[in-house]
Amino acid sequence: MNLIQKILLLEIWKGLALTLKKLLFDRPVTIQYPEKDKVVPAPGFRGRHALVRDPQTGDTLCIACMRCARVCPSKCIYIEYEVDPETKKRKIKRYDIEALRCVYCGYCEEVCPVNALVLTEFFEYAGYSREELYFDKERLLKNWDEFIATQKRPYLNPFWKPRGIPEKYLPIKKRTFTGV
Amino acid sequence: MDFNSLWIILSALVLLLLAMFHVAYLTYAERKIIARMQQRLGPNRVGPRGLLQPIADVLKLIQKEDIIHPRVDRPIFAIAPLISLVCAASGLAFIPLWERFVLSNLNVGLLFILALSSLSAYGVILSGWASNSRYSFLGALRASAQVISYEIAMSLSLLSVVLMAGSFNLQDIVKAQLSTPYKVYLIPQIVAFFVFMVSALAETNRVPFDLPEAETELVAGYFTEYSGIRFAIFYLAEYFGMIVMSALAVTCFLGGYAGPFEIPGLPFFWFLIKIYAFLFFYIWVRATLPRYRYDQLMGLGWKVLIPLSLLNLLVTAFIKLLI
Repeated sequence: MNLIQKILLLEIWKGLALTLKKLLFDRPVTIQYPEKDKVVPAPGFRGRHALVRDPQTGDTLCIACMRCARVCPSKCIYIEYEVDPETKKRKIKRYDIEALRCVYCGYCEEVCPVNALVLTEFFEYAGYSREELYFDKERLLKNWDEFIATQKRPYLNPFWKPRGIPEKYLPIKKRTFTGV
Repeated sequence: MDFNSLWIILSALVLLLLAMFHVAYLTYAERKIIARMQQRLGPNRVGPRGLLQPIADVLKLIQKEDIIHPRVDRPIFAIAPLISLVCAASGLAFIPLWERFVLSNLNVGLLFILALSSLSAYGVILSGWASNSRYSFLGALRASAQVISYEIAMSLSLLSVVLMAGSFNLQDIVKAQLSTPYKVYLIPQIVAFFVFMVSALAETNRVPFDLPEAETELVAGYFTEYSGIRFAIFYLAEYFGMIVMSALAVTCFLGGYAGPFEIPGLPFFWFLIKIYAFLFFYIWVRATLPRYRYDQLMGLGWKVLIPLSLLNLLVTAFIKLLI
Protein backbone atom coordinates (compact mmCIF):
# COMPACT_ATOMS: atom_id res chain seq x y z
CA MET A 1 0.00 0.00 0.00
CA ASN A 2 1.61 3.21 -1.06
CA LEU A 3 1.42 6.51 0.76
CA ILE A 4 -1.32 8.16 -1.32
CA GLN A 5 -3.58 5.17 -0.77
CA LYS A 6 -2.88 5.30 2.94
CA ILE A 7 -3.57 9.01 3.30
CA LEU A 8 -6.79 8.99 1.29
CA LEU A 9 -8.00 5.84 3.12
CA LEU A 10 -8.77 4.25 -0.23
CA GLU A 11 -9.34 0.79 1.17
CA ILE A 12 -11.79 2.06 3.74
CA TRP A 13 -13.72 3.94 1.06
CA LYS A 14 -13.82 0.76 -0.99
CA GLY A 15 -15.38 -1.06 1.93
CA LEU A 16 -17.85 1.74 2.52
CA ALA A 17 -18.82 1.70 -1.15
CA LEU A 18 -19.53 -2.01 -0.91
CA THR A 19 -21.89 -1.66 2.04
CA LEU A 20 -23.62 1.31 0.42
CA LYS A 21 -24.12 -0.71 -2.74
CA LYS A 22 -25.64 -3.51 -0.68
CA LEU A 23 -27.97 -1.05 1.04
CA LEU A 24 -29.18 0.60 -2.15
CA PHE A 25 -29.40 -2.19 -4.68
CA ASP A 26 -29.66 -5.54 -2.94
CA ARG A 27 -32.82 -7.07 -1.54
CA PRO A 28 -32.83 -9.00 1.74
CA VAL A 29 -32.38 -12.71 1.21
CA THR A 30 -34.34 -13.61 4.34
CA ILE A 31 -37.03 -16.25 3.79
CA GLN A 32 -40.10 -15.17 5.74
CA TYR A 33 -41.26 -18.71 6.06
CA PRO A 34 -44.73 -19.11 7.45
CA GLU A 35 -46.18 -15.73 6.46
CA LYS A 36 -44.93 -14.72 3.06
CA ASP A 37 -42.67 -17.34 1.52
CA LYS A 38 -43.59 -20.97 1.01
CA VAL A 39 -40.88 -23.55 1.28
CA VAL A 40 -41.11 -26.39 -1.21
CA PRO A 41 -38.96 -29.33 -0.18
CA ALA A 42 -36.76 -30.95 -2.78
CA PRO A 43 -38.10 -34.18 -4.31
CA GLY A 44 -37.14 -37.07 -2.09
CA PHE A 45 -37.25 -34.99 1.08
CA ARG A 46 -37.89 -37.41 3.92
CA GLY A 47 -40.79 -36.03 5.95
CA ARG A 48 -43.92 -37.42 7.57
CA HIS A 49 -44.44 -41.17 7.38
CA ALA A 50 -47.29 -42.71 5.45
CA LEU A 51 -48.55 -46.11 4.37
CA VAL A 52 -49.46 -46.23 0.71
CA ARG A 53 -53.16 -46.85 0.21
CA ASP A 54 -53.71 -49.44 -2.50
CA PRO A 55 -55.96 -47.87 -5.12
CA GLN A 56 -57.65 -51.20 -5.81
CA THR A 57 -58.44 -52.53 -2.35
CA GLY A 58 -58.36 -49.24 -0.43
CA ASP A 59 -56.15 -50.87 2.20
CA THR A 60 -52.40 -50.94 2.77
CA LEU A 61 -50.03 -52.76 0.46
CA CYS A 62 -48.10 -54.15 3.42
CA ILE A 63 -47.46 -57.90 3.43
CA ALA A 64 -46.05 -58.00 6.98
CA CYS A 65 -42.60 -59.22 5.93
CA MET A 66 -41.10 -57.35 8.92
CA ARG A 67 -38.11 -56.11 6.91
CA CYS A 68 -38.76 -52.47 7.75
CA ALA A 69 -39.01 -53.22 11.46
CA ARG A 70 -35.78 -55.15 11.29
CA VAL A 71 -33.78 -52.66 9.29
CA CYS A 72 -34.93 -49.65 11.31
CA PRO A 73 -31.87 -48.32 13.22
CA SER A 74 -33.97 -46.68 15.92
CA LYS A 75 -36.47 -49.55 16.15
CA CYS A 76 -39.47 -47.27 15.89
CA ILE A 77 -41.73 -49.55 13.84
CA TYR A 78 -44.01 -52.00 15.65
CA ILE A 79 -45.82 -54.64 13.60
CA GLU A 80 -48.24 -57.36 14.66
CA TYR A 81 -49.68 -59.75 12.12
CA GLU A 82 -51.83 -62.82 11.87
CA VAL A 83 -51.64 -65.67 9.36
CA ASP A 84 -54.73 -66.51 7.43
CA PRO A 85 -55.16 -70.32 8.01
CA GLU A 86 -56.55 -70.97 4.53
CA THR A 87 -54.39 -68.92 2.16
CA LYS A 88 -51.33 -68.91 4.48
CA LYS A 89 -50.93 -65.19 3.79
CA ARG A 90 -49.88 -62.74 6.46
CA LYS A 91 -52.12 -59.82 7.32
CA ILE A 92 -51.10 -56.97 9.60
CA LYS A 93 -53.13 -56.37 12.74
CA ARG A 94 -51.14 -53.43 13.90
CA TYR A 95 -48.62 -51.16 12.19
CA ASP A 96 -47.29 -48.32 14.36
CA ILE A 97 -44.50 -45.82 13.73
CA GLU A 98 -43.25 -43.71 16.60
CA ALA A 99 -42.24 -40.62 14.64
CA LEU A 100 -40.41 -39.03 17.58
CA ARG A 101 -37.92 -41.90 17.61
CA CYS A 102 -37.49 -42.04 13.83
CA VAL A 103 -34.17 -40.77 12.47
CA TYR A 104 -35.50 -40.35 8.91
CA CYS A 105 -32.84 -42.55 7.35
CA GLY A 106 -35.28 -43.92 4.79
CA TYR A 107 -34.07 -47.53 5.06
CA CYS A 108 -37.64 -48.74 5.56
CA GLU A 109 -38.66 -47.31 2.20
CA GLU A 110 -35.66 -48.81 0.48
CA VAL A 111 -36.09 -52.25 1.94
CA CYS A 112 -39.85 -52.62 1.53
CA PRO A 113 -40.43 -55.19 -1.25
CA VAL A 114 -43.86 -53.84 -2.20
CA ASN A 115 -43.32 -50.11 -1.70
CA ALA A 116 -45.95 -49.98 1.00
CA LEU A 117 -44.17 -47.41 3.13
CA VAL A 118 -43.05 -43.90 2.27
CA LEU A 119 -41.52 -40.88 3.97
CA THR A 120 -43.60 -38.16 2.33
CA GLU A 121 -42.41 -34.69 1.46
CA PHE A 122 -44.86 -33.19 3.93
CA PHE A 123 -42.93 -31.55 6.77
CA GLU A 124 -45.27 -29.28 8.74
CA TYR A 125 -46.47 -31.77 11.35
CA ALA A 126 -45.22 -30.48 14.69
CA GLY A 127 -47.38 -31.56 17.61
CA TYR A 128 -47.99 -30.66 21.21
CA SER A 129 -47.91 -34.16 22.65
CA ARG A 130 -46.21 -37.51 22.07
CA GLU A 131 -49.56 -39.06 21.17
CA GLU A 132 -49.97 -36.72 18.23
CA LEU A 133 -46.75 -38.04 16.71
CA TYR A 134 -47.40 -41.71 17.38
CA PHE A 135 -48.81 -42.90 14.06
CA ASP A 136 -50.93 -46.04 14.01
CA LYS A 137 -52.11 -47.74 10.82
CA GLU A 138 -55.19 -45.60 10.30
CA ARG A 139 -53.20 -42.46 10.89
CA LEU A 140 -50.49 -43.53 8.46
CA LEU A 141 -53.08 -44.20 5.77
CA LYS A 142 -54.63 -40.82 6.48
CA ASN A 143 -51.19 -39.22 6.14
CA TRP A 144 -50.94 -40.78 2.72
CA ASP A 145 -54.34 -39.45 1.66
CA GLU A 146 -53.41 -35.96 2.83
CA PHE A 147 -50.09 -36.10 1.07
CA ILE A 148 -51.14 -37.62 -2.24
CA ALA A 149 -53.88 -35.01 -2.67
CA THR A 150 -51.11 -32.42 -3.13
CA GLN A 151 -49.07 -34.50 -5.61
CA LYS A 152 -49.08 -35.33 -9.29
CA ARG A 153 -50.13 -38.90 -10.08
CA PRO A 154 -48.52 -41.35 -10.60
CA TYR A 155 -46.27 -40.68 -7.65
CA LEU A 156 -42.88 -42.39 -7.47
CA ASN A 157 -40.65 -41.76 -4.48
CA PRO A 158 -36.91 -41.83 -5.36
CA PHE A 159 -36.13 -44.03 -2.35
CA TRP A 160 -38.39 -46.78 -3.59
CA LYS A 161 -35.74 -47.59 -6.18
CA PRO A 162 -32.56 -47.01 -4.22
CA ARG A 163 -29.59 -45.71 -6.17
CA GLY A 164 -26.44 -47.83 -6.26
CA ILE A 165 -28.25 -51.15 -6.40
CA PRO A 166 -28.56 -52.69 -9.89
CA GLU A 167 -32.18 -53.00 -10.84
CA LYS A 168 -31.95 -56.76 -11.39
CA TYR A 169 -31.27 -57.34 -7.67
CA LEU A 170 -34.44 -55.54 -6.62
CA PRO A 171 -37.59 -57.52 -5.68
CA ILE A 172 -39.88 -58.03 -8.63
CA LYS A 173 -42.58 -55.67 -7.39
CA LYS A 174 -40.05 -52.89 -6.83
CA ARG A 175 -38.54 -53.44 -10.28
CA THR A 176 -41.81 -53.21 -12.14
CA PHE A 177 -43.21 -50.45 -10.01
CA THR A 178 -44.08 -47.28 -11.92
CA GLY A 179 -45.81 -45.30 -9.23
CA VAL A 180 -49.20 -45.01 -7.63
CA MET B 1 -43.09 33.21 36.72
CA ASP B 2 -42.05 35.63 34.05
CA PHE B 3 -42.28 35.00 30.35
CA ASN B 4 -38.56 34.36 29.92
CA SER B 5 -38.28 31.40 32.26
CA LEU B 6 -41.47 29.92 30.84
CA TRP B 7 -39.92 30.15 27.40
CA ILE B 8 -36.80 28.38 28.62
CA ILE B 9 -38.81 25.55 30.18
CA LEU B 10 -40.85 25.21 27.03
CA SER B 11 -37.82 25.09 24.77
CA ALA B 12 -36.09 22.64 27.10
CA LEU B 13 -39.14 20.41 26.80
CA VAL B 14 -39.12 20.70 23.02
CA LEU B 15 -35.44 19.85 22.91
CA LEU B 16 -35.84 16.91 25.27
CA LEU B 17 -38.74 15.43 23.34
CA LEU B 18 -36.95 15.93 20.04
CA ALA B 19 -33.79 14.33 21.38
CA MET B 20 -35.60 11.37 22.96
CA PHE B 21 -37.51 10.74 19.77
CA HIS B 22 -34.33 10.84 17.76
CA VAL B 23 -32.46 8.54 20.14
CA ALA B 24 -35.30 6.03 20.06
CA TYR B 25 -35.53 5.97 16.31
CA LEU B 26 -31.78 6.10 15.88
CA THR B 27 -31.62 2.62 17.39
CA TYR B 28 -34.31 1.51 14.97
CA ALA B 29 -32.60 3.15 12.01
CA GLU B 30 -29.29 1.58 12.99
CA ARG B 31 -30.73 -1.90 13.17
CA LYS B 32 -32.66 -1.47 9.96
CA ILE B 33 -29.81 0.04 7.94
CA ILE B 34 -27.22 -2.45 9.13
CA ALA B 35 -29.66 -5.24 8.39
CA ARG B 36 -30.14 -4.00 4.85
CA MET B 37 -26.40 -3.66 4.34
CA GLN B 38 -26.06 -7.28 5.40
CA GLN B 39 -29.06 -8.29 3.24
CA ARG B 40 -31.25 -9.05 6.25
CA LEU B 41 -34.65 -7.62 7.07
CA GLY B 42 -34.05 -6.08 10.47
CA PRO B 43 -36.85 -5.52 12.98
CA ASN B 44 -40.19 -6.13 11.27
CA ARG B 45 -42.43 -7.67 13.91
CA VAL B 46 -43.65 -4.84 16.14
CA GLY B 47 -45.94 -2.56 14.21
CA PRO B 48 -45.77 -1.91 10.47
CA ARG B 49 -42.20 -2.49 9.28
CA GLY B 50 -41.18 -2.78 12.93
CA LEU B 51 -41.71 0.92 13.52
CA LEU B 52 -42.83 0.40 17.13
CA GLN B 53 -39.71 -1.62 17.97
CA PRO B 54 -38.00 1.15 20.05
CA ILE B 55 -41.12 1.49 22.20
CA ALA B 56 -41.27 -2.25 22.73
CA ASP B 57 -37.58 -2.24 23.66
CA VAL B 58 -38.07 0.49 26.25
CA LEU B 59 -41.09 -1.26 27.76
CA LYS B 60 -39.15 -4.50 27.95
CA LEU B 61 -36.13 -2.91 29.59
CA ILE B 62 -38.28 -1.16 32.19
CA GLN B 63 -39.94 -4.43 33.14
CA LYS B 64 -36.67 -6.31 33.56
CA GLU B 65 -35.34 -7.12 36.98
CA ASP B 66 -32.75 -4.64 38.22
CA ILE B 67 -29.99 -7.00 39.31
CA ILE B 68 -27.46 -5.52 41.70
CA HIS B 69 -24.67 -7.86 42.66
CA PRO B 70 -24.02 -7.93 46.45
CA ARG B 71 -20.31 -7.18 46.03
CA VAL B 72 -20.75 -3.97 44.03
CA ASP B 73 -20.07 -0.55 45.45
CA ARG B 74 -23.69 0.43 45.58
CA PRO B 75 -23.83 4.24 45.57
CA ILE B 76 -21.24 4.53 42.80
CA PHE B 77 -22.84 1.68 40.90
CA ALA B 78 -26.15 3.52 41.01
CA ILE B 79 -24.79 6.92 40.09
CA ALA B 80 -22.43 5.96 37.24
CA PRO B 81 -25.07 5.52 34.52
CA LEU B 82 -26.57 8.86 35.44
CA ILE B 83 -23.18 10.56 35.10
CA SER B 84 -22.82 9.03 31.66
CA LEU B 85 -26.28 10.11 30.58
CA VAL B 86 -26.09 13.65 31.94
CA CYS B 87 -22.66 14.26 30.43
CA ALA B 88 -23.70 12.87 27.08
CA ALA B 89 -27.09 14.53 26.82
CA SER B 90 -26.63 18.01 28.28
CA GLY B 91 -24.27 18.96 25.47
CA LEU B 92 -27.35 19.38 23.31
CA ALA B 93 -28.37 22.48 25.27
CA PHE B 94 -25.60 24.56 23.69
CA ILE B 95 -26.19 23.56 20.08
CA PRO B 96 -28.00 26.19 18.03
CA LEU B 97 -30.72 24.18 16.32
CA TRP B 98 -32.04 27.26 14.61
CA GLU B 99 -31.24 30.93 14.32
CA ARG B 100 -33.68 31.66 17.12
CA PHE B 101 -33.53 28.39 19.01
CA VAL B 102 -30.63 27.70 21.30
CA LEU B 103 -31.45 26.61 24.82
CA SER B 104 -28.40 28.10 26.47
CA ASN B 105 -26.44 30.61 24.43
CA LEU B 106 -23.31 30.25 26.54
CA ASN B 107 -20.28 32.18 25.37
CA VAL B 108 -18.03 29.17 26.07
CA GLY B 109 -20.49 26.64 24.68
CA LEU B 110 -17.91 24.64 22.74
CA LEU B 111 -15.61 24.45 25.73
CA PHE B 112 -18.52 23.29 27.85
CA ILE B 113 -19.36 20.46 25.47
CA LEU B 114 -15.73 19.35 25.46
CA ALA B 115 -15.68 19.46 29.25
CA LEU B 116 -18.84 17.37 29.43
CA SER B 117 -17.51 14.77 27.06
CA SER B 118 -14.35 14.51 29.16
CA LEU B 119 -16.48 14.13 32.27
CA SER B 120 -18.32 11.23 30.71
CA ALA B 121 -15.12 9.23 31.20
CA TYR B 122 -16.05 9.31 34.89
CA GLY B 123 -19.30 7.52 34.21
CA VAL B 124 -17.37 4.84 32.38
CA ILE B 125 -14.57 4.32 34.85
CA LEU B 126 -16.79 4.55 37.94
CA SER B 127 -19.18 1.97 36.56
CA GLY B 128 -16.27 -0.30 35.73
CA TRP B 129 -14.71 0.07 39.15
CA ALA B 130 -17.94 -0.19 41.14
CA SER B 131 -19.11 -3.31 39.30
CA ASN B 132 -16.30 -5.32 40.92
CA SER B 133 -15.97 -7.50 37.85
CA ARG B 134 -12.88 -8.02 35.73
CA TYR B 135 -14.65 -7.57 32.41
CA SER B 136 -16.18 -4.31 33.51
CA PHE B 137 -12.88 -3.13 34.88
CA LEU B 138 -10.94 -3.98 31.73
CA GLY B 139 -13.58 -2.27 29.65
CA ALA B 140 -13.46 0.78 31.85
CA LEU B 141 -9.67 0.96 31.66
CA ARG B 142 -9.74 0.76 27.92
CA ALA B 143 -12.57 3.25 27.64
CA SER B 144 -11.01 5.87 29.85
CA ALA B 145 -7.62 5.62 28.13
CA GLN B 146 -9.28 5.86 24.74
CA VAL B 147 -11.59 8.73 25.63
CA ILE B 148 -8.78 10.74 27.19
CA SER B 149 -6.41 10.22 24.24
CA TYR B 150 -8.93 11.08 21.58
CA GLU B 151 -10.27 14.01 23.57
CA ILE B 152 -6.97 15.79 22.87
CA ALA B 153 -7.12 15.30 19.11
CA MET B 154 -10.76 16.32 19.05
CA SER B 155 -10.20 19.46 21.10
CA LEU B 156 -7.24 20.48 18.94
CA SER B 157 -9.23 20.05 15.76
CA LEU B 158 -12.10 22.10 17.17
CA LEU B 159 -9.63 24.69 18.36
CA SER B 160 -8.68 25.55 14.79
CA VAL B 161 -12.37 26.15 14.10
CA VAL B 162 -12.49 28.40 17.14
CA LEU B 163 -9.40 30.18 15.84
CA MET B 164 -11.09 30.89 12.52
CA ALA B 165 -14.36 32.00 14.07
CA GLY B 166 -12.76 33.89 16.92
CA SER B 167 -15.33 32.67 19.43
CA PHE B 168 -16.25 29.74 21.64
CA ASN B 169 -19.93 30.53 21.26
CA LEU B 170 -21.52 28.03 18.88
CA GLN B 171 -24.03 30.56 17.58
CA ASP B 172 -21.13 32.88 16.72
CA ILE B 173 -19.25 30.05 15.05
CA VAL B 174 -22.23 29.40 12.78
CA LYS B 175 -22.52 33.11 11.97
CA ALA B 176 -18.79 33.37 11.29
CA GLN B 177 -19.09 30.45 8.87
CA LEU B 178 -21.93 32.11 7.02
CA SER B 179 -19.85 35.25 6.54
CA THR B 180 -17.02 33.34 4.83
CA PRO B 181 -17.13 32.87 1.03
CA TYR B 182 -17.56 29.07 1.35
CA LYS B 183 -20.40 29.31 3.92
CA VAL B 184 -18.96 26.23 5.67
CA TYR B 185 -15.72 25.51 7.50
CA LEU B 186 -15.57 22.05 5.93
CA ILE B 187 -13.54 23.33 2.97
CA PRO B 188 -10.79 25.34 4.70
CA GLN B 189 -10.71 22.96 7.67
CA ILE B 190 -10.91 19.63 5.90
CA VAL B 191 -8.02 18.22 7.93
CA ALA B 192 -9.62 19.29 11.19
CA PHE B 193 -12.88 17.80 10.01
CA PHE B 194 -11.22 14.47 9.29
CA VAL B 195 -9.52 14.42 12.69
CA PHE B 196 -12.77 15.39 14.35
CA MET B 197 -14.77 12.66 12.67
CA VAL B 198 -12.29 9.93 13.54
CA SER B 199 -11.95 11.04 17.14
CA ALA B 200 -15.71 11.49 17.46
CA LEU B 201 -16.07 7.83 16.51
CA ALA B 202 -13.55 6.95 19.20
CA GLU B 203 -15.09 9.36 21.70
CA THR B 204 -18.53 7.79 21.42
CA ASN B 205 -17.04 4.26 21.54
CA ARG B 206 -18.41 3.35 18.16
CA VAL B 207 -17.12 0.80 15.68
CA PRO B 208 -14.23 0.66 14.62
CA PHE B 209 -13.12 2.00 18.00
CA ASP B 210 -15.57 0.08 20.17
CA LEU B 211 -12.88 -1.62 22.24
CA PRO B 212 -14.40 -0.65 25.61
CA GLU B 213 -17.51 -2.66 24.85
CA ALA B 214 -15.95 -5.26 22.58
CA GLU B 215 -18.54 -8.00 22.87
CA THR B 216 -16.27 -10.69 21.57
CA GLU B 217 -13.61 -10.05 24.18
CA LEU B 218 -15.18 -8.31 27.15
CA VAL B 219 -18.82 -9.48 27.24
CA ALA B 220 -20.14 -5.92 27.15
CA GLY B 221 -17.29 -3.85 28.58
CA TYR B 222 -17.91 -1.46 31.42
CA PHE B 223 -21.64 -2.12 31.68
CA THR B 224 -21.41 -5.91 31.86
CA GLU B 225 -22.91 -6.03 35.36
CA TYR B 226 -25.77 -3.67 34.62
CA SER B 227 -29.26 -4.79 33.76
CA GLY B 228 -32.72 -3.46 33.15
CA ILE B 229 -33.19 0.26 33.09
CA ARG B 230 -29.64 1.05 34.23
CA PHE B 231 -28.32 -0.76 31.20
CA ALA B 232 -30.78 1.19 29.09
CA ILE B 233 -29.39 4.43 30.50
CA PHE B 234 -25.89 3.52 29.32
CA TYR B 235 -27.31 2.67 25.93
CA LEU B 236 -29.17 5.96 25.87
CA ALA B 237 -25.97 7.80 26.80
CA GLU B 238 -24.14 6.21 23.87
CA TYR B 239 -26.77 7.30 21.39
CA PHE B 240 -27.04 10.74 22.94
CA GLY B 241 -23.28 10.97 22.57
CA MET B 242 -23.60 10.15 18.88
CA ILE B 243 -26.24 12.81 18.42
CA VAL B 244 -24.24 15.46 20.29
CA MET B 245 -21.09 14.68 18.31
CA SER B 246 -23.00 14.85 15.04
CA ALA B 247 -24.63 18.10 16.10
CA LEU B 248 -21.25 19.49 17.00
CA ALA B 249 -19.84 18.47 13.63
CA VAL B 250 -22.78 20.09 11.87
CA THR B 251 -22.41 23.27 13.87
CA CYS B 252 -18.65 23.58 13.59
CA PHE B 253 -18.03 22.34 10.06
CA LEU B 254 -21.22 22.34 8.02
CA GLY B 255 -22.74 25.72 8.78
CA GLY B 256 -25.22 24.60 11.44
CA TYR B 257 -28.84 25.47 10.79
CA ALA B 258 -28.17 27.37 7.56
CA GLY B 259 -29.17 25.79 4.29
CA PRO B 260 -28.94 26.71 0.62
CA PHE B 261 -32.47 28.11 0.77
CA GLU B 262 -35.02 28.87 3.44
CA ILE B 263 -37.85 26.41 4.05
CA PRO B 264 -40.84 28.15 5.63
CA GLY B 265 -42.63 26.38 8.48
CA LEU B 266 -39.88 23.83 9.13
CA PRO B 267 -37.43 25.58 11.43
CA PHE B 268 -35.03 22.70 12.12
CA PHE B 269 -35.13 21.29 8.60
CA TRP B 270 -31.56 21.85 7.43
CA PHE B 271 -30.06 21.11 10.81
CA LEU B 272 -31.86 17.79 10.98
CA ILE B 273 -30.96 16.88 7.40
CA LYS B 274 -27.30 17.46 8.11
CA ILE B 275 -27.42 15.60 11.41
CA TYR B 276 -29.10 12.65 9.73
CA ALA B 277 -26.28 12.52 7.21
CA PHE B 278 -23.77 12.28 10.04
CA LEU B 279 -25.76 9.69 11.94
CA PHE B 280 -26.04 7.66 8.76
CA PHE B 281 -22.28 7.88 8.45
CA TYR B 282 -21.84 6.48 11.95
CA ILE B 283 -24.12 3.55 11.12
CA TRP B 284 -22.51 3.04 7.75
CA VAL B 285 -19.06 2.83 9.30
CA ARG B 286 -20.34 0.39 11.89
CA ALA B 287 -21.69 -1.89 9.19
CA THR B 288 -18.42 -1.79 7.27
CA LEU B 289 -15.33 -1.78 9.43
CA PRO B 290 -13.90 -4.35 11.82
CA ARG B 291 -12.58 -3.38 15.24
CA TYR B 292 -9.11 -1.88 15.68
CA ARG B 293 -6.52 -3.57 17.81
CA TYR B 294 -5.79 -1.69 21.01
CA ASP B 295 -2.20 -0.72 20.15
CA GLN B 296 -3.32 0.38 16.68
CA LEU B 297 -5.97 2.54 18.30
CA MET B 298 -3.50 4.25 20.59
CA GLY B 299 -0.96 4.55 17.77
CA LEU B 300 -3.52 6.21 15.51
CA GLY B 301 -4.55 8.61 18.25
CA TRP B 302 -1.14 9.71 19.45
CA LYS B 303 1.04 9.30 16.35
CA VAL B 304 -1.32 10.43 13.60
CA LEU B 305 -4.30 12.42 14.79
CA ILE B 306 -2.69 14.59 17.46
CA PRO B 307 0.32 15.68 15.33
CA LEU B 308 -2.02 16.21 12.39
CA SER B 309 -4.37 18.42 14.34
CA LEU B 310 -1.48 20.30 15.95
CA LEU B 311 -0.01 20.97 12.51
CA ASN B 312 -3.41 22.05 11.25
CA LEU B 313 -3.80 24.39 14.19
CA LEU B 314 -0.37 25.89 13.52
CA VAL B 315 -1.12 26.45 9.83
CA THR B 316 -4.51 27.95 10.64
CA ALA B 317 -2.93 30.31 13.13
CA PHE B 318 -0.31 31.40 10.57
CA ILE B 319 -2.89 32.07 7.92
CA LYS B 320 -5.02 33.93 10.45
CA LEU B 321 -1.99 36.07 11.32
CA LEU B 322 -1.23 36.85 7.68
CA ILE B 323 -4.76 37.83 6.69
